[in-house]
Amino acid sequence: MDAAARDAAAAQPVIRLEQITKAYRGVPAVKNVDFELRRGEIHALLGENGAGKSTLTKIIAGAVEATSGTMMHNGRTVAYASPSEALDAGIAMVFQETSLVPSMTVAQNLYLGSEKFLNRLRGITISAQQFLQSLNFPVDPTALVETLGAAKRQMVEIARAVHHNAEVIIFDEPTATLTPEEKRHFFALIRRLKAAGVSIVFISHALEEALLIADRITVLRDGELVSTGETAGYNREKIIAAMVGRTLSGELYRQRNPGDIRPAGRRVLSVQDISMGKMVRNNSFSVFEGQITGVFGLIGSGRTETFKVIAGIHKRDFLRGGTIELDDKPVRYVVPREAVKDGIVYVTEDRKTEGIFETMGIAENLFSGLLAGGHEKSAIVSMKEMHALAREWTGTLAIRAINDNARVVELSGGNQQKVVIGKGLVERPRIVIFDEPTRGVDVGAIVEIHQIINRLADEGLAVVVISSYLPEILNLSDRILVCRQGRIVEEFSPSEATEEKIMYAAVH
Amino acid sequence: MPISPAHIRIDRFLVSKGNSSYRQALNQETIVLAVTALIFLAAAVGLPGFIAPENLVAIVRSVSVLGILALGMGIVIIGRGIDLSAVAIMAMSVAWYLQLLNDGMSDGLAFAYVLALVLAIGAVNGFLAAYAEVPAIFVTLASGSFVFGFVRSQVISQDAVPVPPGNWVEVFGGFRLLDIPVEVFVFAVLALLTAFFLRFTKWGRYVYYAGDNPVAARNIGIPVRPMMVLRYVLSAVIAFVAGLLTAASLHSINTRVVNSTLLYDIILVAVIGGIGLSGGKGGVRNVLVGAALIGIMLNAMTIIDIPLIYQNLIKSTILLFAVIADGVLNPRDEQTAQQGDI
Repeated sequence: MDAAARDAAAAQPVIRLEQITKAYRGVPAVKNVDFELRRGEIHALLGENGAGKSTLTKIIAGAVEATSGTMMHNGRTVAYASPSEALDAGIAMVFQETSLVPSMTVAQNLYLGSEKFLNRLRGITISAQQFLQSLNFPVDPTALVETLGAAKRQMVEIARAVHHNAEVIIFDEPTATLTPEEKRHFFALIRRLKAAGVSIVFISHALEEALLIADRITVLRDGELVSTGETAGYNREKIIAAMVGRTLSGELYRQRNPGDIRPAGRRVLSVQDISMGKMVRNNSFSVFEGQITGVFGLIGSGRTETFKVIAGIHKRDFLRGGTIELDDKPVRYVVPREAVKDGIVYVTEDRKTEGIFETMGIAENLFSGLLAGGHEKSAIVSMKEMHALAREWTGTLAIRAINDNARVVELSGGNQQKVVIGKGLVERPRIVIFDEPTRGVDVGAIVEIHQIINRLADEGLAVVVISSYLPEILNLSDRILVCRQGRIVEEFSPSEATEEKIMYAAVH
Repeated sequence: MPISPAHIRIDRFLVSKGNSSYRQALNQETIVLAVTALIFLAAAVGLPGFIAPENLVAIVRSVSVLGILALGMGIVIIGRGIDLSAVAIMAMSVAWYLQLLNDGMSDGLAFAYVLALVLAIGAVNGFLAAYAEVPAIFVTLASGSFVFGFVRSQVISQDAVPVPPGNWVEVFGGFRLLDIPVEVFVFAVLALLTAFFLRFTKWGRYVYYAGDNPVAARNIGIPVRPMMVLRYVLSAVIAFVAGLLTAASLHSINTRVVNSTLLYDIILVAVIGGIGLSGGKGGVRNVLVGAALIGIMLNAMTIIDIPLIYQNLIKSTILLFAVIADGVLNPRDEQTAQQGDI
């Protein structure tokens, strides 16, 4: 009798999952998870890559069908067959890779799937305008989505979810592509949604964000729910311990000892006044051997573009493009191949679209570096050599897979990233440029990737690390460059740098 | 030992993703091979004379030109392109060559002249696709029509050009070893060469990298564009060889073949064997499987005396079946379609 009364009083949860299991080809991605989302709460869902966060939320949103278990929505047992069915019932999911149509306008995207039979462009533009204004989103409804930055796309996604009167909104890594300023706006919005009674599930890698904004926290590990409760009962260490099943405090993102900072070696790269279109403007800096040069900048500050010019991927302006000197000799690369032959390797921030060869295995991916780099002189290729290379590098980089023919797409984010790094290192570079080396990588692999980067600098290579994650910059760099509006605006030594100083330089 | 967590994660990896890489999935190639074997068995039991050695040789001979053209097409498709000019190059280059011979030019000179033209057409195809970044489907469609139109209107006066009597092409076509006609040997040699090129040479591996992910290939330092030009040149040269072989066995070349369904049969052979149009997948083995299926099917249908129009219907139905079966047996779920996070 008590139980019944309590249930009724506790304003039954919006979503309740009981013993949910989802298996892919017999391998469970989510195992017997009980999950509860209360009305009007912000619920952070945490876990390493592959822990089953995305799968779990996709089950709620109808994008994935559970193998077994039941889901209750407002007390009724339901099984949504598709995301649109779930959306009609009030559950919206904002995906990691945005699901907007790039070639359509913001207004068209907002009304996608809910167009009237006679669809007037002007009509939806006007109502989209009013709707965006009511949310305080500074987005032009007539702009094409492909012209928008990551933050504004996110806003359109969110607006679409709100527009459907969703009572549950699931965000999959919403802040990964946002600048700190945009994050603040995003959090303010989430709180507004919460005040309006919307329940929010929030998947994130950034633990600080979860601690800051969530009411409750749930941690998944290997598809199982390992910990759940009020945010007040958690701190960083406790979450990490739950995520990885061990304590890791102090290993990741510690402040550097002034004594550990590597002195600058020979100057290998000197860049003066390079420009490329509007993205890179009169940028000048140098890179030295035997140390890690950290480059911090917000999205759109031109940091990636600058280093893509150096690696020959982009071409700098033909007139007044500035000069790049490698070992005091001017260079101008037309294709990356020339840069690679000179020992400059760029490790991409976007491993899926420009990093991995997805139909191939680990060995073939690693081998591409050897074949391309000019270290393989023979025109005849030996498979034995390929597997020997793969054995060597999977060992060096601790790439974990069942064997070296395992397809790269089936690996976890961390192992994929190691393959992409390995593919570059096989070319035996002198200058390695890491662009966001730990994006979408789980905590355990972050530590290992940082060790790899440190080892390269210790071996005397010139290492550049581009990151928009401040703790990473502070932890790795022997020298910190800050990029803003297409140029390096400030340099710090790690002993004097603080997060505040760097951010100030990046924003003002 | 600062990274003890490694050990935990190894176990986890074995548990969660272990057997999927080991299991040899039933893919399109194996399905098509199985269907081919079934048709072969059925024909061997049901059709008189099908299993006779002469008929088996005839089957291989009948698909050898198609198979050779499909080798060239395969190289291009693996590199994420397509070559719609193959048949035009095959017929028109040889027509021009024979016309020059009939006009009294010497063998060597005419051959060098036409080979240079073939290389040039391939290079133009490749250059426009690689450097001007015009989609390959338009480039090769246009160049195919151009080659056909130009040669037909300016060089030759009739649809068919005969091989001059006693010419080496005629002698070559009559060559037999152990009762096996020369087409079979040429097909076999070219298949071996192509397989060697694709599997064991650096440039062959570049074809796969560029076909799988051109951006990643470029960034890692693979010469993506020059290699694309090479692929179209190879395809053109292979088409020329196929044309010479056709002329050798028929003692003439009929340029009306350009407007037949041959081009689609070539693509059919490549695709049905499992060379994905999205690039990076497949190899010579897939061409052989595709050619075997088409050859056995056509032969069986001819023996049963099914009209040509129905043969096309049956071919296309089988292609659809193969593609659908592949899609059903190897669904692309989130696990394989998305990186990292599940």
